[in-house]
Amino acid sequence: MSATISQAALRGLVAEWISQGKRVAGPRLVSSEVGAVRPSTLLRAVSASRTGEPPLLYAPLESSDQLTLEGFIRPANSIKEFIFPKHQELYGYRITGKGIELSAVEPPAREQVLIAARPCDAASLPILDHVFNWDYKDELYNLRRQLTTVVTLACAAHDDACFCTSVGLGPAAERGSDALLLELGEGEYEVRCLTEKGKALFDGKLQSSERVASVSAGPEKRFEAEAVGAFVKEHFDSAFWPAQTLACLGCGACAYTCPTCHCFDIVDEGNIERGVRARNWDSCQFAMFTLHASGHNPRPNQPARQRQRIDHKFHIYPEKFGEILCTGCGNCARNCPAGMGVLGVLTAL
Amino acid sequence: MNDHTVSPPSVGPTVGPVGDQPSGFEPKIVAFVCNWCTYLGADLAGTTRLEYPPNVRIIRLPCTGRIDFNLIIKAFEIGADSVLVSGCHPGDCHYTSGNYHARRRWILFRELLQTLGFDLERIHFTWISAAEGHKWQQTVKEITEKTRKLGPYKYLCSGDAASRSGDFTSPSSVGLTAELSNSETPSSSQRGSAPLTCGKPPAFRAAPDPSSSSAQAERLSLSPRAEETVQGVRPAESRSLSASQAAEPQVQALREACRRLLAEGSVKVVIGYGKRGPVFVTRPEDVEQLVWNDHCLANLTVYLKRKEIRALGRPAIVVKGCDERALVVLEKESQIDRKEMHVLGMACPGMGEAKCETCEVHLPRFADEVIGESGQHAAESGERWKSLEALLALPPAERMAYWASEFDRCVKCYACRQVCPMCYCERCLVEKNRPTVIEPSATAKGNLAWHIMRAFHLAGRCVGCDECTRACPAGIDLRLLNLSLAKAEEEHFAYRAGMDPKAELLVGAYSLQDKENFIR
Repeated sequence: MSATISQAALRGLVAEWISQGKRVAGPRLVSSEVGAVRPSTLLRAVSASRTGEPPLLYAPLESSDQLTLEGFIRPANSIKEFIFPKHQELYGYRITGKGIELSAVEPPAREQVLIAARPCDAASLPILDHVFNWDYKDELYNLRRQLTTVVTLACAAHDDACFCTSVGLGPAAERGSDALLLELGEGEYEVRCLTEKGKALFDGKLQSSERVASVSAGPEKRFEAEAVGAFVKEHFDSAFWPAQTLACLGCGACAYTCPTCHCFDIVDEGNIERGVRARNWDSCQFAMFTLHASGHNPRPNQPARQRQRIDHKFHIYPEKFGEILCTGCGNCARNCPAGMGVLGVLTAL
Repeated sequence: MNDHTVSPPSVGPTVGPVGDQPSGFEPKIVAFVCNWCTYLGADLAGTTRLEYPPNVRIIRLPCTGRIDFNLIIKAFEIGADSVLVSGCHPGDCHYTSGNYHARRRWILFRELLQTLGFDLERIHFTWISAAEGHKWQQTVKEITEKTRKLGPYKYLCSGDAASRSGDFTSPSSVGLTAELSNSETPSSSQRGSAPLTCGKPPAFRAAPDPSSSSAQAERLSLSPRAEETVQGVRPAESRSLSASQAAEPQVQALREACRRLLAEGSVKVVIGYGKRGPVFVTRPEDVEQLVWNDHCLANLTVYLKRKEIRALGRPAIVVKGCDERALVVLEKESQIDRKEMHVLGMACPGMGEAKCETCEVHLPRFADEVIGESGQHAAESGERWKSLEALLALPPAERMAYWASEFDRCVKCYACRQVCPMCYCERCLVEKNRPTVIEPSATAKGNLAWHIMRAFHLAGRCVGCDECTRACPAGIDLRLLNLSLAKAEEEHFAYRAGMDPKAELLVGAYSLQDKENFIR
């Protein structure tokens, strides 16, 4: 016995959530259209160009038909930005005479549903909970986390960049999800409500059926996560790093599209009288990331920065919080302009 | 110098509110003027008691040649309604040629602003000499009046389209008010929750688009059969490329050449294409790693400047005709020594990219050796601007709305910068914070300023390899900005970066004959 929902009913639910004032985000082909023309579609009419295609991203949905449920491996970004935004204002300041006035700038939060997230996205949230609730309880993160319900869509296919099975997850992993959707075919989904939040969302909307979804095997296991951690620990100065990371150009595409990368930088924006303090995403691949005021840089070159990234994910984080900082989504490889990503490094290792 | 008259005396507003503008609207005009001519002209207007509106804030710089375009953007960011840039008449520059340099730069910069949808009615350029107090008075009067009619400038449509960034900013936000209150601060009013208020808010294309979603599926190799055949991380795609037939002997010839070069020791490393991406081959027995197929998109010349690669010794580099243009510019800018490398040019039938449709350099022209032959002919060059023209056909406010919506997706990963062979600064301006020129945040304001800077620092230098667009994980069509400058360079100066090794660099040089029609 299983509970099921049709795709049409699911879209209906999405529309209902939107009309209730919830923020609903899910996979969507995103492109700006101005007037009747999207400039690059014109270009594409005469070419088979891959560059400039509308990207599939997790993005807020304005209507339920924008939701893409089929025909993709996973969006190019991750759901972390709905919990931990790329730019978040912490507070405003105003200098008045000798005093400083502080004011809250965060707009009132509201409930949100992340629909059709992939299991590798959903799993990132419990992993991130550790670091945002460790020595300091991050209120802004926790508030958004509390107000978020994650409805995951199990994967029916995978590509060469996927490696969830190597990090203990899989195409239908339940970790971090409030509800899990599995394709039954013919526009039907099996729904598994995993938490109270998930149950509340689908309460009274499901039909019971005899059909049970089959789960795909997922990508073949590529490496042992523990072995990676052990290797990194032992090979800090190994020639392996320079040899493997020559192609890295030092952009932040891998970190910014990774569901688990969470480093940020705090900046003050404004002038001498008033402004805001904000936090912005940051990436360990930037030369500025570890640059000290003295001019010393403990991670002086790209091999050291690449090692830092792997080290943090497979050695430092597990040592501190008991689990690795990677869900095997493969975004780092898909988005890397130099065709790298952690998988390439890890399988070479 | 009468330094005590830093703010030229003025006798109050001489023009009242006009038209249907809210009464009380006083235009804020920022004037960047040169120290030797226009500033003295303004000073003369003051000392001769000429009346003009007090709406202009003067910022004095040594020379118009030193007026950074970022200052113009900054002025709009902090609320200017119009900007005036003014200096010495041609021939009068106290540094001989500063104003000629400035003129050439403005010609290009205006085209970029036009593509971005700036209101050019609000950006004024003039030549005003030290003796032209009257012209200063007239200019300020005219600009003030014009701006008053235009009304307050809604830069960036005065709202942050950051709706996608996970900020719970929608005005329809309901319930669950947290401990945090939405108190009014200067910044929240600037980048607050207001939806786009000017122009037509950009509509997002909805999912059902059979052509693109099937393309998406194909690209991601959804069908099990495609999955099996996929090699490498970027899935292979079947595209009708003549490359596939010609590629095999060509790749053998390439490997043979590299084996020879490495064996004889004349080069220490071959920078080439491998199965997954760039490879750096240092031993003759490893040349089998090299491939040549329609996935060889990257412009490898970006690696020539990287310390880790330089440390490997004298390189041989694999280039396509389009990549080779970057070598020409880099050499012109004294960044590389052409003699210190071996260039392996690949005859390229096209990689199926947009740029390939109008490619005129299928066969590398300056390589040390060219591998393969190309039967392709140059395309009609008129097609090159097609996508740009579609954008330019829209009214400015819609263009700006388009870019606001595109840049909203920018996460500032700087992949566009890192893949660019021309972006070789040790420390990018966006990483400098004393003072902060470009705000590092990925907000509407910070993103627009960043993309203006990135595009304009490539003026006269961008070779059109489209790597920035390919690298962008958010799929922003950055090449439109590059195209707009390329078009301006060609139309105004008959210049194409990297095509002619003998040609002088475009920016950094000037001509007395440079023509424009907007400086008064």
